[in-house]
Amino acid sequence: MKKFLLILLVMSVGFQGALLAQTKTVTGTVTGGDDGLGIPRVNVTVKGTTRGEATNLDGTFSIQVAANETLVFSFVGYIAQEILVGTQSTINVVLQPDYAELDEIVVVGYGSQEKKEITSAVASIKPEDFNSGNISNPTQLLQGKVAGLSITRPGGDPNGGFNIRLRGISTFGGNQAPLIVLDGVPGADLGNVDPNDIASIDVLKDGSAAAIYGARGSSGVILITTTKGNSGEGVTNISVNTFATIDSKVLNKISVLGRDEFLTRGGTDFGSNTDWVDVITQDAFSYATNVSLSGSMGGTSYRASVNYRNNEGIVKGFKNERLNTRLNVTHNAINDRLRLTANINITNGSFGAKNNNLFDFALTYNPTAPIFDDGTLSQNSLGGYFQTLASSDFFNPEALRREQNFSGTNKTILASFRGEFDITDNLTVALQYNQDRFTGLNSNVWSKSDFDFGGPFGGVAGRSTDDRFTEIITGTLNYNTELADGLDATFLIGAERQEITSEGFGLQTRQFLFDSFGANNLGAGALATGPGTNYYSYKNANVLNSAFFRANLNFKGTYFISASVRSESYSGFGDNEKTGYFPAISAGAELTEIADLGPISQLKFRVSYGITGALPPSADLALPVIRNGGRIDLDGDANTADDQFIAPRQAQNPNPTLKWETKKEFNIGFDFAILDGKITGTTDYYTRNIEDLIFNIPVPIGAPNPFDAGNFNTVGSTWVNLADLRSAGFEFAASYNGLKIGQVSWTPSFNFTIYDKTTIEKLSIGDGLGFDDLRGGNLGSPGQNNTQIILNTVGETLGNFVGAKFIGIDENGQYVLEDANGVRGSSAADFALDDLAVIGNALPDADFGINNSFRYNNWDFSFFLRGSIGHDLYNSFRSFYENQDASTSAWNSVVTDKTPVVSASPTFSDLYIEDATFIRLDNLQLGYRVPSNSEWVENINVYFAAQNLFTITNYTGLDPEVRYTDGGNPLVPGLERRNTFIPTRSFTLGVKLNIK
Amino acid sequence: MIRYTKTTILAVALLFVAAACEEPVQEIFDGVTPEELANSTEPALIDVLKASAYQRIIGTWGGHNSLWSMHEVASDEMAIAHKGADWEDGGQWLRMHRHQYNANEQSVNNAWAYCYTAIGDVNLLIQQNPNVTALVAELRILRALVYLWLIDAYGNVPIVLETDTDPTPPTRTRADVFTFIENSVLDNISELSTDNTKTTLNQWSARAILAKLYLNAEVYTGSARWADAETQIDLIINGGVFSLENNFFSNFVTNNENSSENILTLPYDENNAGGFNIAQMTGHYQTQATFDLQDSPWNGYASLEEFYNAYEATDARRNSFLAGPQFALDGSPLTDDNAEPADPDGPGLNFTPEINELAPNSLRQAGVRVAKFEYRVGATPNLSNDFPIFRYGDILLMKAEVMHRQGNSAGALTYVNQIRSRAGIADLAMLTDDILLAERGREMFAEGYRRSDLIRFGKYNDAWWEKDASNPSVNIFPIPQIQRDANPDLQQNPGYN
Repeated sequence: MKKFLLILLVMSVGFQGALLAQTKTVTGTVTGGDDGLGIPRVNVTVKGTTRGEATNLDGTFSIQVAANETLVFSFVGYIAQEILVGTQSTINVVLQPDYAELDEIVVVGYGSQEKKEITSAVASIKPEDFNSGNISNPTQLLQGKVAGLSITRPGGDPNGGFNIRLRGISTFGGNQAPLIVLDGVPGADLGNVDPNDIASIDVLKDGSAAAIYGARGSSGVILITTTKGNSGEGVTNISVNTFATIDSKVLNKISVLGRDEFLTRGGTDFGSNTDWVDVITQDAFSYATNVSLSGSMGGTSYRASVNYRNNEGIVKGFKNERLNTRLNVTHNAINDRLRLTANINITNGSFGAKNNNLFDFALTYNPTAPIFDDGTLSQNSLGGYFQTLASSDFFNPEALRREQNFSGTNKTILASFRGEFDITDNLTVALQYNQDRFTGLNSNVWSKSDFDFGGPFGGVAGRSTDDRFTEIITGTLNYNTELADGLDATFLIGAERQEITSEGFGLQTRQFLFDSFGANNLGAGALATGPGTNYYSYKNANVLNSAFFRANLNFKGTYFISASVRSESYSGFGDNEKTGYFPAISAGAELTEIADLGPISQLKFRVSYGITGALPPSADLALPVIRNGGRIDLDGDANTADDQFIAPRQAQNPNPTLKWETKKEFNIGFDFAILDGKITGTTDYYTRNIEDLIFNIPVPIGAPNPFDAGNFNTVGSTWVNLADLRSAGFEFAASYNGLKIGQVSWTPSFNFTIYDKTTIEKLSIGDGLGFDDLRGGNLGSPGQNNTQIILNTVGETLGNFVGAKFIGIDENGQYVLEDANGVRGSSAADFALDDLAVIGNALPDADFGINNSFRYNNWDFSFFLRGSIGHDLYNSFRSFYENQDASTSAWNSVVTDKTPVVSASPTFSDLYIEDATFIRLDNLQLGYRVPSNSEWVENINVYFAAQNLFTITNYTGLDPEVRYTDGGNPLVPGLERRNTFIPTRSFTLGVKLNIK
Repeated sequence: MIRYTKTTILAVALLFVAAACEEPVQEIFDGVTPEELANSTEPALIDVLKASAYQRIIGTWGGHNSLWSMHEVASDEMAIAHKGADWEDGGQWLRMHRHQYNANEQSVNNAWAYCYTAIGDVNLLIQQNPNVTALVAELRILRALVYLWLIDAYGNVPIVLETDTDPTPPTRTRADVFTFIENSVLDNISELSTDNTKTTLNQWSARAILAKLYLNAEVYTGSARWADAETQIDLIINGGVFSLENNFFSNFVTNNENSSENILTLPYDENNAGGFNIAQMTGHYQTQATFDLQDSPWNGYASLEEFYNAYEATDARRNSFLAGPQFALDGSPLTDDNAEPADPDGPGLNFTPEINELAPNSLRQAGVRVAKFEYRVGATPNLSNDFPIFRYGDILLMKAEVMHRQGNSAGALTYVNQIRSRAGIADLAMLTDDILLAERGREMFAEGYRRSDLIRFGKYNDAWWEKDASNPSVNIFPIPQIQRDANPDLQQNPGYN
């Protein structure tokens, strides 16, 4: 994008029309001031014209130019140089690296700014900083790279999504992750972009920067810009990147008893010796290939790419395959005053998945049980598998894996058309139209041999489709002017309409004669009503109309002010609450322009304030909508069908007073560069006040609905603007560029964030609705069904664990537990909830990332450490399975270095809340650039990457990664559930090839 | 030219901005609005809505964590013992058994929510159809039935009418609730049918509501109403619509809809009206093989030894239990491979009346299990047996009780002996409170009335197996904390905090 804009700039300037003069051929070489090597594809343009060439692989160029003309040498990451040709016929140029990159263009939402002008907290990440290895999701590129941006995926599910949190929790609703803006398309799905096609990622961190996205900006904004066609006239580039990855399981600190130990402990012996984790896992093989083709002709430049990925999970049957194709075309016309862009992306994916409870059962199933049994050993040998009726909570993991199959395909088309026209030199109008169509088709099959679900129903199969259609039209006017001497101003006014429509249907039938066709012939299932079956369809839509305005002022490159406001009107609120306003203001001063600060080459002080919003989880919460109640058979005789109906029933308690939740964020920060920009860094402190969080609160069921006169609460909860939260944090990032150790250049960088954890200020609204505290995190079966371990209290930090304190184990192997008043007991059930003390907190005190890159000739090496400090996790494996009481003869025990010998049955206490502070070698890469003398091959890079090489932690569960939600619920962080996918370690070997 | 273009583009842009400020309307594509519902001319709609209101009360009984669970586990009929961690569930069932329940119990809130969901639906439906007299009358009595459960379980509860607008309806005294139920039935009963409709309210079941209310009047209000109870009972008996089934279990089989004895039932159905899960709740994991059940049961509810032993060996009603060695459907003996080494019966599956302890390590096979309702071979977790709310057998015992209470024990005996002879056991020659209570226990086992019977007979606070004597304040359940959080005008019942 940066390059693209540079070219635009150069070309438009060039329009003034160059006089043809006597020309001559000038040749030369462009080398880098950092390593002395030739730089390929440097733009060599003749100033004031459209003429230009790009340097070859070795940095050489040749151009026709007149003596009175000036050549401009520019390249991303280097300080551009201008050289008057004069009498020279050979011009060798040394471009100095621009470490601080103050002229770098940063995308800020509906436009871009030079980095030096930015007055809010924005982080810009370029491909050279991206993580490497088997990266299938664009956010993985950023993991640990941006202070305040936490990207987590506990476990190793190839289909699993990432939890993205910017500066912690900003809403309880559906949009807890930052808004993704892909090439100007707000809300685009990350599945629409392949990591290989990304040119830059910009993260709008503070409220002021995000406020231009108004009601969708509360969780922050991540702007992704895809690579556009290159500029060199007639030059075609073909790039191929392919890699293969092997994943293997990592059971960091957790293990179970072997057969003999299990029997010694009194376990039931079924005569075999089975390592169930081994049975269900494999070393997974994944591969990906990306081919891109780019070039230009006339005023048109293009880039087309095809990406194919095939990821296999370490548990057999988990897989993910994706073909992603993208075409970006740009055409400039009318003397470059009209610029047209079309981006078209088509993604086809498919996945396979299994029951996630596999992981639980694989760890704890009886190690003496065989996989198969003819009925002599087990009480049930459905499908020829060993099954014991020990308890409804335990299933033969291999049978479960084989006999339940969940799969699907999805297709996405994202088409985006943009036109920009310079009405005058300083007034530009732009119109962008985006269409995003997603279609998913899912199939679920529980075979006739499935002991868990399918078998009892004679086999169950279902299929469902989901379609989502998003249409966004955006218009902007951009006006640049010099308001007074030295005071430059840019004004933006814009309007946007977004309409999202979702629809789908599904059918599940049962009682099949054959398993072989899975969900491909649902008509072969005899029953489509009753237990184990369902059928449905749905459709919903919502509209968001927005208008926005922004002014940027720049006084002599020293003082900067930016102010914006966005109005948002959302269909989903009540008539009087549809429109909200989201203003922001920020200011900055470049102190080095005011005074000479010696070795400090940049010191920009910034302060900003902005208000953003968050959309409710669904658009119909304000309305009394009547959907489906129970099935009614009026005469009770199933044989007569014409008197059977589905009763209408109000699906929710409408709240027409529902309004925007808002986040007010204050940010103060510095950007600095020292020693000619070799050391650069940025630091920010922010405070956030989140108000009127939209939340589903319990109301007296059956009582009159206070928000809708004459209506009664038909369900026990109503969506209201309830909670207020407060949080703050401190972020720091710095890097040292161009550090040399002999021939080796070393670039260390690190970032950290210290969180002032989210505090709950309020959990109530008028009329006494609301609560003093909210409990959550029920542990579940067996035995801990009524045990809620998270307590969120007004005035306290979010995510506190509560429970009894573990004092010891008595001579009978029973727990000795103690409550906050010093009263003792032996089981969690012995204590009143109100007497329990806070025994931990699930959210981290700090996150950090440390990167080190080394370059030596054609070699590069980097490693990246990442970690979180101060968060606690609930270790469900220990909590349920480390005990050695009588009941555990039915299942295996988990053994860790924290396992005490307890003969009591499992009960919850702080024994199972563990400090999960960790540091992880997340990413390591070794690359070699193979020198090429071929006239076709520009360069070849071979690389080896490893992910998740090791983790240092005292946590004894599967993965010490922070858990921000429990099944999407942000009020219940910190629970490592037993269905956590086994984490993996990956080794990747890849080749990148550029063909001329 | 440029200027003209510029003006045009600016004008278009401004129009676009203006359009973008328009407030969009929310469309609904997959539901109907209240207006559409009100304007519907579909003839079946009212019947469907009425049936839907009845369906709401189905959740109050029949499932785990329900009002039924509370009545049974808090009484001397059943317990849910802790088998190690299994069924520990935060100690709820231990506390329920020992009368130490608190306002945070899951079941206490579930039952409340079920009752008030039904009340909300009834109110909405009355409000939408104010002029359909018969419907309104029936709905008001349906609401009274729900209040009969509420007055019995919680005592002091808010009364919500279709005309009410207070979003936090305040607590009303148990006496107020009593009067409300009484008047609701008396004012509306004449509009109801006299047909034996069984699954919907009619005059007979409305009288049964009054009979139950008056029977417990002393508990609910402090003043006994035995004569009023007897009046209603006599009207039912003399109506001649109902009679005892020869076979006690005909009232509880899967296809019990033609029972001559059941007066009002909840018509559970595995396809249309699920929620009756007693086979899952009580069966051992292996009981799946006994009835070829579609899912493995949960090994929870078992009967108390003393309660089981109160049946004479020849009492037909003793088959209300699964006891002794257990067999698969094909007759082969069942074994529990995971039986505790300490189990004196060994791995062979044997439901012993004795339960070694309530917690923490009850044996997996200990305790006889509930089998009063037929478990159809191949049944799904949702049974299709209709659950009797009012049953003629109960009415006869109630008749006996009100006569006995009013001094006519001899007259009462004839009714008790009707019940005994149907069960195949000898007539009694004399009647005392204890004998009557025990007979009610044997007859009404697992039908959800034991707790209120014990309270009425003054026995609820006695000590029994694994339970100390309790304070009378536990004779009503606490108001659920979740509900009090949602409604600050709810007063907690005395003795709870």
